Amino acid sequence: MSFPLTFWDISLWLAITAIVLLITSELISPYYGKTNLLINKKRLRNVALTVSTLFLITVAIRIATIIISP
Amino acid sequence: MRIEVGFAQAPGIIMLILGTIALVASTISTSTILAFIGLGLAFWGAILLYIRPEEYTKKVLLEATLSPSLTTLNQMIQEFAYKGDVTYLPPKYFADPETTKIYISKHKDTSLPTPEQVQKYENQPVARTPRGMLLTPPGIQLSRLLEKSLGTTFIRTDLKNLQQNLPRLFIENLEIAENLEIRAEDDMTKSTTIHAKITKPFYADTFKEAEEPSQLTGLIGGPICSAIAIAITKATGKPVRITDTKSSEDGNTIEASYEIIEE
Repeated sequence: MSFPLTFWDISLWLAITAIVLLITSELISPYYGKTNLLINKKRLRNVALTVSTLFLITVAIRIATIIISP
Repeated sequence: MRIEVGFAQAPGIIMLILGTIALVASTISTSTILAFIGLGLAFWGAILLYIRPEEYTKKVLLEATLSPSLTTLNQMIQEFAYKGDVTYLPPKYFADPETTKIYISKHKDTSLPTPEQVQKYENQPVARTPRGMLLTPPGIQLSRLLEKSLGTTFIRTDLKNLQQNLPRLFIENLEIAENLEIRAEDDMTKSTTIHAKITKPFYADTFKEAEEPSQLTGLIGGPICSAIAIAITKATGKPVRITDTKSSEDGNTIEASYEIIEE
């Protein structure tokens, strides 16, 4: 009994989620006049940025692994 | 302890529970597909709960409560027959450094009172003197909300800073308007006339429904124009007058001009 997803599966999932969240966050931005959507857009943007950062960390880990491994 | 789940929260909680069940099941059955489904459901459930709206009030309710107070202000000024200049006084005129009030002189082109004269009447909500009257501006609470969002008081900013930060506060933080442009006739640091253009303000319908404003209340401004005047007077530390306010026919655009009075 173990968790079936590997580190790279999580990285891929993070990448897709980050893209979806970043695009959504940009499209519903009040700068485009979307002031009638009753959700906390600031929090959504923060989540999008956090998920993107997490994905970039996984990329950095991957690069580091490639460089370090003989 | 009883936890109440609102209708708006239900989808988020259901997704979170289903996602957690799927994740546990994926661990037991070692299924990658189930793990992805569980991860997605749990994540989006948590997101739905996290980004749920803050407390909102229906716009019609806000309009119904705001219009009478603006009409009362209009009637009160007409009743007292103060027909002079309308000036936003900066905090240096008051003992409390966070206070800003409107001074309406009895007659046009009279000089402003001294801080000592103003401080005698500072704590009265409507202070009447033979030379003029002091009023609390309609945008005072909105300006405090803007300061709270900015994280500092407007006294610690300058005009350039205001030009950069006010649009962000109006559009992104408080979503009061779709757009706000602040420009000076020349250099922002030296100019004495500032123009503000507010596109699709949240209060547009309120002013359409309120009683036809008199020329004097037009110079006091509605909550938004008044809040901008307070921000300018606090940032510059100088008295400010709203010289002109224009609203488009559909109420979607408001243009206001502010004059900084050199003492």
